[in-house]
Amino acid sequence: MNHIPLERSAASRWLRALALCTVVAVLAVACGGSRKTSSNPGTTTAGGGGGTTAPVVNTANCPAGNDTVGVSGDTITIGTSLPESGLYQAFTAILKGEKSYFEYMNAQGGVTVAGKKYKINLVDKDDAYDAAKTVTNVNSLINDTKVFSLFNVVGTKNNLAVRDLVNSQCVPDLLIASGAVQWGNTKFPWMLGSELVPYPDEMQTLVDYLKTTKPNAKIAVLKANDDFGQSYADTLKALIVGTNLKIVQTQGYDPETSEVKAQVTSLAATKADVFVLGGTLLACPNALNAMGDAGWKPIVYMSGTCVSKVLLGIAGKNANGIFSVTPLIDPSAPANDSNPAVATYKAQVKKYAKDADVSDGIVAYGWTTAALFAKILESSPKLTRSAVMETARTLTGVKGVGLQLPQSTWTTSAKDWFIGETFQLIKYDATAGHSVNVGPITDDNGKTAAISPKILLTQ
Amino acid sequence: MSLFLTQLMNGIGNGAVYASLALALVLIFRTTGILNFSQGEMALYSTYLVWYFSNRGLPVWVAILLSMTLSFIGGAAIERIVIRPVERASPLVLVIVTIGMFLAINSIVQVQFGADAKHLTRAYPAHVWRPGNVQISADTLVLVGILILECLFLYLLLQRTKLGLGVRAAASNPESSRLLGVPVGRTLMFGWGLAAALGALAGSLAIPASQPALSAASMQSILVFSFAAAALGGFDSTIGAVVGGMIVGVAQTLTTQYIKALSDIVLVVPFGLILVVLMVRPQGLFGSRHVERV
Amino acid sequence: MRSRRQLQVLALATAVVVLAFLIVLPHQYGSTNTTRWAQALYIGVAAMGLNLLTGYNGQVSIGHGAFFGLGAYTSALLVNQHGWQFLPTLLVAGPLCFLVGVAVGFPALRVKGLYLALVTLGLAVLFPDLTKHYVHVTGGTNLVAMTGSELAPPAWVPTSVSAIGRDDQWAYYVTLAIAIGLFLAAMFIIRSRFGRALIAVRDHEAAAATVGINTSFVKVSAFAISALYAGLAGSCSVLVDHLANADKVQTFQISIEFLVAVVIGGTATVVGPLVGGWLVVFLQHWISDSLPKHVGSISVLKRTLANPAASPAIFGIILILFVFVLPDGLVGGVRRLVSRIGRGDVNDIQPSTTPLTT
Repeated sequence: MNHIPLERSAASRWLRALALCTVVAVLAVACGGSRKTSSNPGTTTAGGGGGTTAPVVNTANCPAGNDTVGVSGDTITIGTSLPESGLYQAFTAILKGEKSYFEYMNAQGGVTVAGKKYKINLVDKDDAYDAAKTVTNVNSLINDTKVFSLFNVVGTKNNLAVRDLVNSQCVPDLLIASGAVQWGNTKFPWMLGSELVPYPDEMQTLVDYLKTTKPNAKIAVLKANDDFGQSYADTLKALIVGTNLKIVQTQGYDPETSEVKAQVTSLAATKADVFVLGGTLLACPNALNAMGDAGWKPIVYMSGTCVSKVLLGIAGKNANGIFSVTPLIDPSAPANDSNPAVATYKAQVKKYAKDADVSDGIVAYGWTTAALFAKILESSPKLTRSAVMETARTLTGVKGVGLQLPQSTWTTSAKDWFIGETFQLIKYDATAGHSVNVGPITDDNGKTAAISPKILLTQ
Repeated sequence: MSLFLTQLMNGIGNGAVYASLALALVLIFRTTGILNFSQGEMALYSTYLVWYFSNRGLPVWVAILLSMTLSFIGGAAIERIVIRPVERASPLVLVIVTIGMFLAINSIVQVQFGADAKHLTRAYPAHVWRPGNVQISADTLVLVGILILECLFLYLLLQRTKLGLGVRAAASNPESSRLLGVPVGRTLMFGWGLAAALGALAGSLAIPASQPALSAASMQSILVFSFAAAALGGFDSTIGAVVGGMIVGVAQTLTTQYIKALSDIVLVVPFGLILVVLMVRPQGLFGSRHVERV
Repeated sequence: MRSRRQLQVLALATAVVVLAFLIVLPHQYGSTNTTRWAQALYIGVAAMGLNLLTGYNGQVSIGHGAFFGLGAYTSALLVNQHGWQFLPTLLVAGPLCFLVGVAVGFPALRVKGLYLALVTLGLAVLFPDLTKHYVHVTGGTNLVAMTGSELAPPAWVPTSVSAIGRDDQWAYYVTLAIAIGLFLAAMFIIRSRFGRALIAVRDHEAAAATVGINTSFVKVSAFAISALYAGLAGSCSVLVDHLANADKVQTFQISIEFLVAVVIGGTATVVGPLVGGWLVVFLQHWISDSLPKHVGSISVLKRTLANPAASPAIFGIILILFVFVLPDGLVGGVRRLVSRIGRGDVNDIQPSTTPLTT
């Protein structure tokens, strides 16, 4: 190539233009200094929670006068953000369950807080599962809608993105729709996960089960390449130390594509005795089908996030006999129809959300979480943000909420930041199309933080 | 060895999925010179139609034929209504139009059919053979077989019929073709219709074979790899689309199996490959070269 | 009949009015709306850069979301992990994206048209995986969530610019300043010899080479400059949205938004992409927030138009109709209108009509 170079004058001119653009920034460096407008008021009280008087949630640095925002007359306005459009729109089913519950309660006069009845108004905003849009939505809910509390905002990163915002503004971010352990980070007391089983607890249950039934098992792991998959893989690795259990191979997959066939082929070649499926959504049936194709017949443990009529139905006979956990009564099992809680749930959801599928566990989850929220409000001594948050942080032996398992109790305390620690080990029966309980209920109360990967709890 | 061959077969199965959609992309490109971002979503809609008909009791293969027919009509209609008004506009405008369709069709699918995943049955019995521990599934055989038939069909159509000659003429020079009596408008509609019908076939065979369920997300990752396949093979080459698809598919599965360090960034391999190939042959492996004159 | 001089005066007057409006805006609006304007500005900034590459130089990219993300992560990590102030991070993010732009621009010399578009698409789908591989910050994820105090304005900023508790104003003004700076830079570039070289290479590369333009230098520079614009836009997004994040869907989507902003604003016009950025942000906002309130009580309309799941469909259809009516974008359309009213002597650069395949 023998082109003449562009003349120097022109070339240097645009370089000068470039320099011009950064002048603003240079100025700033020269001046330095930062005006710190807010420190984090959320930190827990020192030595936290030993006594009965010291509150878990320290309100010393909260903005003044915002403790009762969101209550006007006899209405409490709360807000949520979730994917209502885009590829994760299926989560809208949660909203149907929630709205049905609140409408059902409102029709009966509402919830009673400190002796007065209030109606609940749930404002929903669509974030298409994009964390940046969640921030916009939550800002708008707090500043424009002026919600009392956030409720069941969907997604791990979506809630992490507003972590500083809700904690510095002292707005409760209650019953987050994610079983991630990040809500156990004690620097951020204004957020609390919902009754979903924390992912590390699932691995504890599996290891306990294997220790008695197959103590020398070789384990193959499929995990999503994100913090969710890491919760399973890292916890399992830590829990099998000192046992005869052995992880023979771990494979990751891209949670945004759910392509797992090559990974499962590779895992199947190890002929491991146990297959741990730390994935979610369509990756679960995809992996089970690939396992069937490979003629591999291990004991399968599948993430509790995949326990759904739709997903398991897709895997068909390949899902037969797999293990998982659930915090709720299975609404798709006909045997449960006689349960009064299930009957109420089905009747009311059919009434208020005609297009919802009442046998779908995700709708039942929305219903139950709404019921738990109402329960927290009713247990609160006062209708203030700090009192409600304190109540949520000190739940003792909550029973019979929504489709909560009959034998389970939900408890939180200064030392226990997780609700969903009591749950049922289940085994899927493909012929019947629903799962059956295995053994008694598991109660891991207060144990989650100890078995969680440290980076997720502290970062 | 058997593990290697199984992963190779997995790769060929994936590759056949990418190639089948890449064929539709190539067809649109050859007839209208457009990179159709909505090809995947058009195929998605067609596949939902298959689900809809088969869910109402029609045998799956009848549903597929019905959907292909409707897709042909729909594709032709899209050319006439959406593409024709801007066919002379800048290529960027056409990119925006197909992106607009991409967004619109994906969202229409969700509104019309609901967001939950649908179970789509195969048009043939699922089976896995294991000769010497190598897995060969009926899915892979059917997909590869159909792909070969499609290639033959397209070759015969484009190279051996008057219609095909018209398609090629209309694409390369619409003005002179018009003067020579080629019904350019109808030919372009035919091209879009055919691509939509091929997409319908691709979707309704590929989704039950490669994914457990049909959802609004089904086509998006396939589309990205189909683009990759078409770029690798050469955008105007039928055989290029097939070879490109196979290379991308096999590269993915073998990377997963053998290169641990890349296990969470598997995409580096197919896109790195494309970059290298395009550096050496900017027109893709089988694409034809455009010569520019001053 | 108006003379060219009168038109120039009119343009200047418009610019002054718009600028005055943009400056007082955050004092009229609450934080939600101010933030939305800031988002429109940073999309516009990235689109301005992409326009230099695609509109003026004819190289199509559908992967600039990767550069946007690179800028965002650079700023976010420097502030969150290394305790930097926000503004100095621009000095790292901009040049870094510029250099990566050079690195990507070199292969782009060989790869053209559609093929280039697809290579850049590869960039957009690969970038999120790279962040997941290397970044483990907030809650151990690839998200970098910022705290209010990390992004607080420096002490020298007068409180009239940023009232206490209104950090959105500070974010807005920084983004506005960068947008104005980069707008002037783009104008300067276009009117320079380099700008004419950009267009010459787009319109006829071989011919441009024969008149002594170093086409490789021009094309690589265009890539690098557009990457710098996208990177600075990404940095601004950290200040505005308080996070850096990358997922495949979002990175692809924002890459598409840049391109959409270029085309519906006005390809190969300096101000077009800024207008386009505004349209992209506010159209989507209008569809999801305002439209449902206006559909009335007709149940069919309510079921479809007010259904959030349908918002992308409405946006897509509006896009298509928009380019039907205004194929050269809003600014191009206004310009045509003005030139029809005047004597048609607007001899500015017209959008490219060369096919993508050459």
